[in-house]
Amino acid sequence: MGGRGAHLAAFAAALLVLGWSFRVAEVRPQLFFEASTRHAVGAFVRNLFPPALDAPFLLVALRAVVRTLAIAVSGTVLSLILGLPLGVLATPTLFRRGVLVAVGERGLAARLLSAASLAARALLRFLRAVPDLLWALVFVVAFGLGPLPGALALGVNYAGVVGRVFADLFEEAPPHPLEALHAAGGSRLQIFLLAILPQTAPGVVAYALYSFECCVRAASVLGFIGAGGIGYEISVSMRLFEYGQITTLLALSLALIFAADALSRLIRRRFRRAGEMARVEESLRRKHFLTRSRAGGALRPLVAGRALRALLAMVILAVLVLSFADSGFFSAGGGEGSVPLGARLLHFAAQLVPPDLSAPFLRSLAEPLAQTIGISIVGTLIGLVLGGALALTATATLVFRPAEDPGRRSRASDLLRGAIYVLSRALLALLRSIPELLWVLLCIVAVGLGPFAGTLALGLHTAGVLGKLLAETLEEVDGRALVALRAAGASPLQVLLCGMLPQARGTIATYALLRWESNLRVSTVVGLVGGGGLGLAMYNSVQLAFYPRVATLVLLVYLLVMGTDLIADRVRARGRQLEQEPERRARELAAVQA
Amino acid sequence: MAYALSRVSKVYPSRAGDVPSLREVSFSVARGERVALLGPSGAGKTSLFRLLNATLRPSGGTVLFEGHDLARLSPRQLRALRRRIGTVFQQPPLVPSLTALQNALCGRLGHFGVFGALRALVSPPARELKRARDALSAVGLAGKELSRADELSGGQQQRVAIARVLVQEPDVVLADEPFAALDPALTESIAELLFATASGRTLIVTLHDVKLALRLFPRIIGLAAGRVAFDEDAASVTPAMLSALYAREAEPARESEGSPADHRALT
Repeated sequence: MGGRGAHLAAFAAALLVLGWSFRVAEVRPQLFFEASTRHAVGAFVRNLFPPALDAPFLLVALRAVVRTLAIAVSGTVLSLILGLPLGVLATPTLFRRGVLVAVGERGLAARLLSAASLAARALLRFLRAVPDLLWALVFVVAFGLGPLPGALALGVNYAGVVGRVFADLFEEAPPHPLEALHAAGGSRLQIFLLAILPQTAPGVVAYALYSFECCVRAASVLGFIGAGGIGYEISVSMRLFEYGQITTLLALSLALIFAADALSRLIRRRFRRAGEMARVEESLRRKHFLTRSRAGGALRPLVAGRALRALLAMVILAVLVLSFADSGFFSAGGGEGSVPLGARLLHFAAQLVPPDLSAPFLRSLAEPLAQTIGISIVGTLIGLVLGGALALTATATLVFRPAEDPGRRSRASDLLRGAIYVLSRALLALLRSIPELLWVLLCIVAVGLGPFAGTLALGLHTAGVLGKLLAETLEEVDGRALVALRAAGASPLQVLLCGMLPQARGTIATYALLRWESNLRVSTVVGLVGGGGLGLAMYNSVQLAFYPRVATLVLLVYLLVMGTDLIADRVRARGRQLEQEPERRARELAAVQA
Repeated sequence: MAYALSRVSKVYPSRAGDVPSLREVSFSVARGERVALLGPSGAGKTSLFRLLNATLRPSGGTVLFEGHDLARLSPRQLRALRRRIGTVFQQPPLVPSLTALQNALCGRLGHFGVFGALRALVSPPARELKRARDALSAVGLAGKELSRADELSGGQQQRVAIARVLVQEPDVVLADEPFAALDPALTESIAELLFATASGRTLIVTLHDVKLALRLFPRIIGLAAGRVAFDEDAASVTPAMLSALYAREAEPARESEGSPADHRALT
């Protein structure tokens, strides 16, 4: 523990970083008070109504919804096809350590396998670290405009996400069945299929569904850069100033996202929690920053009866085939002089190397790089402040009077409290269900092109995410200390200040840090739609067909994301150490006294 | 009169039907009086206790504090009233990540505004700081002011909780099983401390230890199955009354592991 001086130094450093971030992100709050801004926002909001509901446009919009869904489904399937084998290969307990490699096996084959396993892990990390929109941009360049690059981008990026989660799941599967099968002479594949997969199947299914939810969200914005789906229609309507159409498209894409969430929840509810795996999934949930009850327990058949099951299987198969067809997978070869997909990809990849590492180009990246970092920091801060404010009125234990409280109660006040609570929760849901990139387009209307629009967009989306998490954290704080404060005459705000926040501050810091990591990824792409930062440089390089520069930028994004992950991990480790310190000391003290 | 309870009952609804915890309890406590509440696990002691510190709503009957009917008070009046009641809980309910000093200062929250509460966390006014320091040294924790609450031992935490009540300067001190979480050696010193704290104030304590109650308190109220079994001077409590009180208790359970109803009351 540093002294007062160390604290002061850390505080000053934080202030400096913040000041720098505000400057490079070109934050200009005075814009909100200018008449022209009010005018633009007012006109935009007025023109959002009435929504466009004429038949030809509705047809276009519905077609776009179907296309979006097709992209999401084929992206999910691709991510599983890629992610599952890579996840298996990246599982340390299968190839690198533990019972399977402990005894004797030190031959060349074992070493090669171990190296391949490490390589798979690194590949997954790369696929995950480069954001989906960046993948989409690269694939748009390689394959042309349309849904195909979108589906490929989702498949590749989410393969990185689910592959890593699968590897973690497989690693933490209870080891005894592994040992038994190994002792009986089973091969690695047999061990995986018979000992690991059955134990982890519920988790695998749960995260496959999670991948689907993510893909639906992402698919609705991929169109901004020409990768098909509803986002494309939104960007077209935006350019034509057809704001009535925007309302319709916005409502449709929100409906799509909510429907996907509901479907995935419905399927997940068919699972039972099983003791051991529930614990493992809980730890994964914390690690991967998911909201509650993502993962289930033992699998149950989705529907009863053989005929029904066969019907369901056929429906699913049909949906998959149609999705791939609508995403352009089967027509891809035919369109442009029948060059096969793989060949085109290779041709494009050849143009990427060697990356442009010339000094003038690297120097020109300094400013957008700084902007990207600044956007992520200020965006997270805005999200924390705004989300924190909204979280207060979305925390049931703060808004409502305890049912047990004696004293007068009035129906009107109870109703008012209920209304405030429901409204705040709804506002938070709205903020977080509009994807960051869509927020960028909306913010550009208010504050114009540039990093400030990107910053605001990140802030608004983050407010929705963090607000909900903070409200949940405050609600879950240990209640005994709060009862005592209330019994000493503390008001709800005082209970918050002296009881809830001190208990929740560690969790709040963890969430903010995790969100910053995720925001940094997004802040590298907000520039693709006019939100400043590295995205703009990327967009320009693509437009000018400077592919070696694209390669450099992708590498830069990868390094940036890896670097921040490293920093965040260290901060977290330090935080955990600080958190556990008192517990450890208390345990020691108890041991001495006993 | 500090308290006047008339025909107070408390029922906890549950899936299996309503679980009565208190049935038509009536008694009053004069200012400055010292009362021990005795009774087996599940007798309703904790519910009664929470009714007295105005954090539980009775299902029936009235609770008067200093002549005020609790059911008629506004939230603000209720807070002002709670300020006058200091509570020592069975498990010291400190905020783990705050220091002993900050936890003690929490006793003043009823006197502070929201801004005052913030100030108390960051840099409390000298007068409040002195008050809290004095209270901590009165409970023998001088030098531990800046230790985090979760670094303290159980006995030390209970001392901080008592310091919080000292800082609060209440008219009434309530203590729910204050010794249950402590080992016997500590009980004596904490009891002394509690009595010193309550000097000149009304003191109501729920206890599991009959001998301790008879030795320290002039008035004993026995509670069994949610009813007042007896309400006597300590001198007139007979062994027969006590064995009748505890007759229904099959095994020597601790109050901390009380009945389902008591558990709900605690959480």
